[in-house]
Amino acid sequence: MSGLKEFIQRVFFHGENPLVDNYVENRLRPPGAVDERRFMALCIRCNRCLEVCPYGSIKRAGIGPTIGTPYVFPENKACYLCMACCRLCPTGALDRELRKPEQTAMGKARIDTTLCYSHLFLGHDVLPDTSGRKIGALCNTCYNVCPLQEKAITLEKNLYPVILDGCVGCGICTERCPTRPRRAVNVIPAGMGRADEAGFYFRKARKHYESSTAIETKTPSGVLKGEKLLEQKSRIEGTRGEPDFSFPYETPKKMEGWE
Amino acid sequence: MYGPYRRAAQTGTFIVMFLIPVLNLYEIYTLTGTFYAINIGRLGIADPVVILQAIFAAGELSVPLASAALFPVALALAFGRVWCGWMCPYHLLADVASWTRGLFRAKIIGKTGAGSLPVTSSFTANAGRFGFLVLGTAFAGAIGIPVLNYVNAPGIVSTEAMIFVKERALSIEFVFLAVLVILELTLAPRFWCRLFCPTGALLSLFRMRVTLRVATTIPTPRSACCREKRCTEVCPMGLEAFREGSDLLCTNCGRCVDACASVQGPGRLRFTGFRT
Repeated sequence: MSGLKEFIQRVFFHGENPLVDNYVENRLRPPGAVDERRFMALCIRCNRCLEVCPYGSIKRAGIGPTIGTPYVFPENKACYLCMACCRLCPTGALDRELRKPEQTAMGKARIDTTLCYSHLFLGHDVLPDTSGRKIGALCNTCYNVCPLQEKAITLEKNLYPVILDGCVGCGICTERCPTRPRRAVNVIPAGMGRADEAGFYFRKARKHYESSTAIETKTPSGVLKGEKLLEQKSRIEGTRGEPDFSFPYETPKKMEGWE
Repeated sequence: MYGPYRRAAQTGTFIVMFLIPVLNLYEIYTLTGTFYAINIGRLGIADPVVILQAIFAAGELSVPLASAALFPVALALAFGRVWCGWMCPYHLLADVASWTRGLFRAKIIGKTGAGSLPVTSSFTANAGRFGFLVLGTAFAGAIGIPVLNYVNAPGIVSTEAMIFVKERALSIEFVFLAVLVILELTLAPRFWCRLFCPTGALLSLFRMRVTLRVATTIPTPRSACCREKRCTEVCPMGLEAFREGSDLLCTNCGRCVDACASVQGPGRLRFTGFRT
């Protein structure tokens, strides 16, 4: 019975069902949500959070095992951290005691430096190419719209935005980010499983990666080059006496004319 | 006569269902929620089945969880399953379906009445819905998801109303409702409330000696009872009201009492319970 329970929980919660991909960027639970597993158990789909949201940020999930539960899709409408939904939740799926916006943990924003205009500008990649995407400009919209400026995001050298630890993942920066079709700043949801555990292809990629690294660590023999050689050398410790070096040729004991 | 009052209460609940999202659009949050769980001011009310599943799925019993189910349980202890008979929006839909079915039967086949119910024995019907409730709760506890919420008919009706008002759209659960109503119209009249509904099943368990119920004043109304059995004919749950007035299936809708009104004498059906 416990085996069956485990199997079903794996399928439903850890995204190991190839049909259900539980981990999606820019898809968050409302503020104050407990971790995904308890949330799915406690949420009774009464949609009170959805009704009370003054911004219309909270949407109802469609077909699938999470049907009827609330989500925030920051690409369309981010959470503005008014904290109206938390105090209304009847079962505690959203934390009722939560009042301060900076204490929520919906996720963490991450800036894609290959898309962000400010970062592109910094990299002297300012020439517009044919696609018109790489324009490069001191945009910094994410910094300007952030409700927790200097706690969640800062302007490094007054030039480019950097996400700090205080980020709660409200997603306003994602909503306002001007890059299209993909936003340069995306929110990684908290408590919703990890990318490497999500879905069939993610898992396959992870296994592939793990098996490749396992072979490398098991058999260190062979010729090392480049960075791997440097890494090997950096592991040599100088405190435990001299390392043994074996040479394929004989060292001459005595050299003529050198005494 | 209880019929008009019952219709008024049902229609009122149906209107409130649409009114809640309208009020919320005008930023009045005195009434929030759907019939899964609803807030009236600071009073939190939730469907007991929903709470039962949340307790099993999350493996914990907290004060806000348990207190939300108190009001429906108290209502059931006092008045029986009046939620089903007098308020439930799905029951109103089933009533309309049954009425439509009767109309078509009269026109096409020439027979009056809504036709025979799928399962006639009240014991089998009770066993079916309690089995469904127990299985659903056990499955919810096993996988940690309140699965019976996917088939909670009144909750889905009110959720669809809310979505319709707020977003001018319907969700996929509307298909479930449509299938239920079509089945009630064609093959199996009243099957959901009688054979499956977990909310009704759980609510019918809360009863005491003083709970409102239908009974006659005569202890064994065999000979004195009216021979036409009008009460049995009108009962939507397929009960013989003079005999099974205190059955778990009874919703206290009062139709049998209304039908019995023409009968004079001591054998008349009436609501008893804390009144006597």
